[in-house]
Amino acid sequence: MGKISVLSVCGSGTVTSSMVAGKVKEFLKDKGYNVSATEARPTEALNLAQSGRFDFITFTSPLQSGDYVIPTVNAFACLTGIGEDEFFEQVLEIVKGLNK
Amino acid sequence: MNFDLIELNLAAETNQDVIVTLGKKMLANGYVKDSYINAVIEREMNLPTGLNLGSFSVAIPHTNAEHVILSHIAVAVLKKPVIFYSMIDHSDKLQVELVFLLAIKDPDGQVSLLQKLMSVFQNLELLQQIKAAKTKEEVAKLLDVIEL
Repeated sequence: MGKISVLSVCGSGTVTSSMVAGKVKEFLKDKGYNVSATEARPTEALNLAQSGRFDFITFTSPLQSGDYVIPTVNAFACLTGIGEDEFFEQVLEIVKGLNK
Repeated sequence: MNFDLIELNLAAETNQDVIVTLGKKMLANGYVKDSYINAVIEREMNLPTGLNLGSFSVAIPHTNAEHVILSHIAVAVLKKPVIFYSMIDHSDKLQVELVFLLAIKDPDGQVSLLQKLMSVFQNLELLQQIKAAKTKEEVAKLLDVIEL
């Protein structure tokens, strides 16, 4: 299967985005996907999303409004565990839809 | 885990009090730079870190790696809850009872540590035990899973 590129967004583009990126990578690896993740701040997210380099966005800090072109998924569940199954279902659906 | 970085029954009025108390411990142990405490306080005002776990709330104040010397986590069990705002909805006030102050030098290199911390948040029973702990040793033992 092809390579999936995730943009993981959090407040300072470091700690919680790394936590989420790690979880998403692990989850998709188990499903047989090869995943790379890039971390970013909300202010950088729109430009990066429009760059065409990424397949979807996960975020733990509210995204600024704009046309993100690619799917965006709220990853708060990854931190709290509440609704985590739904989060991963959403991620899997997006990835399946990419046909990679 | 360094017992010095565990605070039980901490009396604090504001989230800033908690950050200062735990931050001073980080500083005294040489884990962070002088700039760390103010950087965390400022970040918390703009990018709050409260997490509503359903039956109660925790917070994970932190800041950029440039203020950190050595990665570590400090923990406070509060005597009474203080208000932190929610990470996902910045207008949502949470009554936080447990605070994990994070000093992270290399987030990408520490993904496994961070994921273990998340697994702690997802184990409400473990969090209840931390809240009810009578000694620092007990808390350290409960947090062994983080492997600092």
